[in-house]
Amino acid sequence: MDRVKQESEKRGGAHVTKVGVRVGELSGVDPDALSFGFEMLVKDTPFEGLALEIDFRKRVQRCATCGRAFETDMLFGACPDCGSSDTACIAGDELDIAFIELEDTACV
Amino acid sequence: MRVAVEEKVLSENQRLAMELRQRFLDHNVFCLNLISSPGSGKTSLLERTLEAMAKDTKVAVLTGDIQTENDARRLARAGFPVKQITTGGTCHLDAKMITKALSDWNLDEIDILFIENVGNLVCPSSYDLGEHAKIVLLSVTEGEDKPLKYPGIFLKSELCVINKMDLLPYVPFDLAAARENARKVHPGIDLVEVSCTVRKGLDDWLAWIYRRQQKVVGVPTL
Repeated sequence: MDRVKQESEKRGGAHVTKVGVRVGELSGVDPDALSFGFEMLVKDTPFEGLALEIDFRKRVQRCATCGRAFETDMLFGACPDCGSSDTACIAGDELDIAFIELEDTACV
Repeated sequence: MRVAVEEKVLSENQRLAMELRQRFLDHNVFCLNLISSPGSGKTSLLERTLEAMAKDTKVAVLTGDIQTENDARRLARAGFPVKQITTGGTCHLDAKMITKALSDWNLDEIDILFIENVGNLVCPSSYDLGEHAKIVLLSVTEGEDKPLKYPGIFLKSELCVINKMDLLPYVPFDLAAARENARKVHPGIDLVEVSCTVRKGLDDWLAWIYRRQQKVVGVPTL
């Protein structure tokens, strides 16, 4: 919320309409719980009604043998191309604020 | 109007953790973050570790719990500096707590710093404390499927210590499956099996610490 306030203040108190977050499945954050918590957080504040968009990302592994990057579940198997089990996790633990949407007052 | 932010939610923790890591590097401190369920034996493992380490090795421990100073009292018996961090309800340690706890310690007086996290396999995995390696403990009185249930921490840990090996004959724990599950989640994870009660496997554990320390600090120890 600090970041949302900052962005709003930077633009002369522009009304913030949406926050986009990126949540990887390895981050330990449950999207439903996050949405519920977010609703409670903005309730009865100037940010009431602020929308939350969650971009949920699967775990991604890269194969050290053939270089293929592939999406997988929490328990990955071998590389679908070459069968090697020598793969490393390259994405899936994100917990980022990706973007904020504001009403376009300054540019009218 | 959409504004790209691209900032980690835990960016403030990350910033403090990077500061800690730089301080550890500047003062040649090797730092390990121990994580497990409550009751897996983090404190017991540290008790045995402190007993086994020579008095001229400069070891220090920060131990986290929601309440009580019990762990610090247990660990202080070995004579090394120990500080309890009571989180008052928080289920993990964060970089700010570590920074605060270290504020009156001279890092030149520390070669190895152990951080015993709050007993929890979920949240501690998200908070970087500036450590060089995370270590996860699993005891044979738990299920061998723990790595599958909590993949995040097994993925982020360099070493999995399997504790309470003396109890293996009395419990239905499938050791081979536990090893396989840990490797399924994290193929490169190191595994060490110990019993703190009958003092077995501790040499392997200490050898791992010293090997890993040399990789970071580059000074031969013992």
